[in-house]
Amino acid sequence: MSNAQATEQSERILKQLVDKGKPILGYVYPHTPLEIIMAHGMMPALLFANPTVMGSYEASLQTFACSFIRNMFSQRVHDQLPYVDGIVFPGNTCDSLQNLADIWHLRFPQDKIFRLTYPAGDQGEAAVQYFAEELRIFSNSLQDAYGSPFSDDAFRLAVDLVQRFRNAVQFLYAARLLQPSSVPYHRIAAFVREFHSAPLETVVDELRPIVNDVERSLAEAGRVDSTKALQHALLERKLEDVSLPSDLPTPRIAIVGGMTEPQAIAELVNAVSKVSSTAIVFDLLSFGFKTIFTPMPALEGDSFETMARSVLGALLEPTQEGLPKRLEFLKDVLTHLAIDGLIVCEQSFCDPDVFEAPSLLAVASEVGVRSVRLPVDPEFSDRARLEGRIQSFLETLAHGGAA
Amino acid sequence: MSEKAYRVLESHNFLQGVMYRYMLEGHAASEEGKLAWVTSGFPVEIPVAMDVGVSYPEQYGAIVGSEKVGPKLCGYAEELGYSQELCSYARASIGSVKYPEESPLEGLPAPQALLACNNICGTVLRWYDAISQMIGAPVFLVDTPPLEGEQLPHHIAYVRHGLDNLVSFLSEQFGTTLKEDKLREVTDLSTETIGVWTQCLEACKNKPSPLNCADRFLAMAPVVAIRGRDYTLEYYQTLLNEVKDRVANGLGAIRDEKVRLLWDNIPPWFRVFRIMGSLAKRGVVFPADTYTHAWTGSFKDEDRMDSIASMYSNVYLNKGLEAKIDKMCGLIKDYDLDGFVMFSVRSCKRYSLGQLVSKELVSERTGVPGVVIEGDMVDSRLQNDAQVETRLDALLEMLL
Amino acid sequence: MGIGLDLGSTTTKGVLVDKSGKVIAAHLIPTGAIASKAAETVLEELTKLSQLELGDVSTVSTGYGRTQVKFAHESITEITCHSVGAHNLNPGIKLLIDVGGQDSKVIRIGSNGRPTDFELNDKCSAGTGRFLEVMARVLEVSIDELGPLALKSKSPCPISSTCTVFAESEVIGRIGSGESPANIAAGVHQAMAAKISTLSRRVGIASPIGVTGGVARNPAFRNYLSAALNCDLWMPEEPQLTGALGAAILAIARASDTV
Repeated sequence: MSNAQATEQSERILKQLVDKGKPILGYVYPHTPLEIIMAHGMMPALLFANPTVMGSYEASLQTFACSFIRNMFSQRVHDQLPYVDGIVFPGNTCDSLQNLADIWHLRFPQDKIFRLTYPAGDQGEAAVQYFAEELRIFSNSLQDAYGSPFSDDAFRLAVDLVQRFRNAVQFLYAARLLQPSSVPYHRIAAFVREFHSAPLETVVDELRPIVNDVERSLAEAGRVDSTKALQHALLERKLEDVSLPSDLPTPRIAIVGGMTEPQAIAELVNAVSKVSSTAIVFDLLSFGFKTIFTPMPALEGDSFETMARSVLGALLEPTQEGLPKRLEFLKDVLTHLAIDGLIVCEQSFCDPDVFEAPSLLAVASEVGVRSVRLPVDPEFSDRARLEGRIQSFLETLAHGGAA
Repeated sequence: MSEKAYRVLESHNFLQGVMYRYMLEGHAASEEGKLAWVTSGFPVEIPVAMDVGVSYPEQYGAIVGSEKVGPKLCGYAEELGYSQELCSYARASIGSVKYPEESPLEGLPAPQALLACNNICGTVLRWYDAISQMIGAPVFLVDTPPLEGEQLPHHIAYVRHGLDNLVSFLSEQFGTTLKEDKLREVTDLSTETIGVWTQCLEACKNKPSPLNCADRFLAMAPVVAIRGRDYTLEYYQTLLNEVKDRVANGLGAIRDEKVRLLWDNIPPWFRVFRIMGSLAKRGVVFPADTYTHAWTGSFKDEDRMDSIASMYSNVYLNKGLEAKIDKMCGLIKDYDLDGFVMFSVRSCKRYSLGQLVSKELVSERTGVPGVVIEGDMVDSRLQNDAQVETRLDALLEMLL
Repeated sequence: MGIGLDLGSTTTKGVLVDKSGKVIAAHLIPTGAIASKAAETVLEELTKLSQLELGDVSTVSTGYGRTQVKFAHESITEITCHSVGAHNLNPGIKLLIDVGGQDSKVIRIGSNGRPTDFELNDKCSAGTGRFLEVMARVLEVSIDELGPLALKSKSPCPISSTCTVFAESEVIGRIGSGESPANIAAGVHQAMAAKISTLSRRVGIASPIGVTGGVARNPAFRNYLSAALNCDLWMPEEPQLTGALGAAILAIARASDTV
């Protein structure tokens, strides 16, 4: 399914939900606590950049606002956002999104805008307590705005659903690393996208036969156990003991770079001629690995606190403290997962991504992995040049001699 | 023309001495292995009370801008892969760390720790992380999540926890301790200094205004960079005396004050004196600006750490757009201003995004016209002078 | 034999080589609106020039329009083709700087002639041939006259903007304040060289350095770039044909692989 088709499909699904009277809450930040929103009987729907929207932000945003928020704002101006009853923006993640929520509120005072503020500090228990309180405030404001209270039962069901989804996709991530032919990357990315745009039981149902197929093909090679071990290692982010088969096809490419949409980038790479379907084996994207390998909230204890622990247990974002930890993990990924090419996406005017890119490239160079920088915006407005970069990179990987 | 349109402050020499001393102290601290770099909104009273020297890279960025070497130093950061889209303070800093010999004052003295507080923007953390990758000094973040309205107890508790962690970090890193009475002494001195500075700012309500924008941009350096020092207080007392003298004698910062404007945002350091000078000739003065008014407040006589947690969370840039609009409207009213200039700084998203909306609302609420001009604080390659001049002229045509 | 076709944004280049890599024929025309048409025209010219039947000759296309050449057997990016082309002409070259109409690239060449790392300009036209074209128009000289004009300058006037639009108004301002066209032209080249130098340092300077692409023919640009990189620059006799030459050599390699 192409990115454009995926957009149409998710809009269709949302429309059906709206027709059934289900309230929809849009979100933009990867680590939004879906389970809390669902516990209020609402459907969280990730708002994607729309590559076809006309730029209409100029009266409210300068050109140096990040390309994602310009796109988002233009969608609102044109009434092209999907059917949502409100939007939750993140606070304290980046300056552009921080200010966008304020601007939005002043420009569209009738819209229901919520802000969930995250700790940027990697400060253990203190951060958990702070964020738990922010989640409680967020939950209360949902109740005030829509009259639907937080339900413990609905929370438990939501945790279960999200976990079953994540578990299945985690398995596919691990399978892709051990046996890339077993499932295409863009297929995984499409499921992730579908779930993000409406976390429904049907997505998990659709996943089941795929997981079964993959498991069968892994079983033929005797790799089911090692895949599960790898899934666990990825979740724990401990990769030292990972062992890979020796006959893996090359190149093995990983993609990093913040909020770039995995399916969109997969589609871009696949459009390049000569790219092998086994090439992209892994990502460290926010809407990919980072949200999929988020630990499950415990079902015991205060729901907001366990939710806070879950969200803050994900691999840190460039918007947070902890660059050395992220670089260490990237190094582990490159070395222990036998990656030989790294694509670093830099979303135009996204400070956290763009600031981190040189350090990511330096890590790749340090461990002898070739890398390429991909300056993108949500519209892929520079598509020809981006494809050229990717194709050149593949040529370099295929034939590059000693430097 | 015999007389310059612009009156030079006599206390300016004192200021230069203060800044020179600050620089020497920074070098001495660095050599002793006791220097930290701090962001402009960092709760600096804590390292100062713990006898850790501090240097301010943002202030250094202003020097790079003023000396017009921004493009060169920012270019060095670009060579390392840092995009021109990123903050030019950060790029200038990264460039000067890479090539200190090519930088003004041969760069800032080398730090042993990097102390960031994100109450002014989220970018400072990424900037210090990048520097840390280059030089190995550890980063410590005091996280002050932006406020919407009142600061709630869990927010204070979180920031307070961060401050306690800061004390542990500094103790470990520099082998010092924090003594309650020393913190009290330093915060008292800060409060007093900020108080005198605030009086200097408020004296500009007089007509003619005793200070122009550029005067304050220079004079603000110590209150940002050298808090908790007696010589800083002494400087501001001298400045206040000179300001009071000017007011008593009816002397303005410019010879012939005709139009009073508000300036919003960090100035283009490489061009600010030229812009202010040429506007002064046309009788335009800036009695107030949001930038130098951002360093105000006081440490109340309660638990000092809680007081620090509260004051540094409530700074101007850590609040929403509504608070900024209120502040601008307040300044326009209190200082009886005829219009406002919003400098849209490409480097600074936290300060600048929202200006297009606030411009409309400030005009609507105060009834005075404003203009948005775009450029940068350090990287002159990002500024189109012709475009800036045209827009300023258009505003003045409405007012003169 | 092998044919290389380089469909650039401004010009389309074709090179025919024999199996030893020696150039038999070469041709260059403006690309115009339809890249595939330009490719056909160049192929016809190569046929005329060589007086050979080229129908079955292994062909590799490169450049922006590379995928639009239906009769090419393979399309390979200009990064690889320039690298191979330059290596063929001067095997010592370690770093290649190619500045074309709307693209500039810096390529680290490995010992086998293939790229090991590269950087491209981002999507704005700063640091590309387009930048010089716009400045030439403002200065009311042709693009071919801009370089020689700059060489007459004794004190280049600094142009700080690298953004084409900003630099345009900066240049207009300089003209207005009476600065000599030669000094402005020199400043323009300096700004351009600074931008390319930054891009080069991202990849890492490794000499000897070669320059190719249409802009390489401009002597003032080479002077200022050489100064900015603090390094001598090597330029092939026909800098614009390097990509097409590389493509032609890859076409031979391809044919011998498949036989």
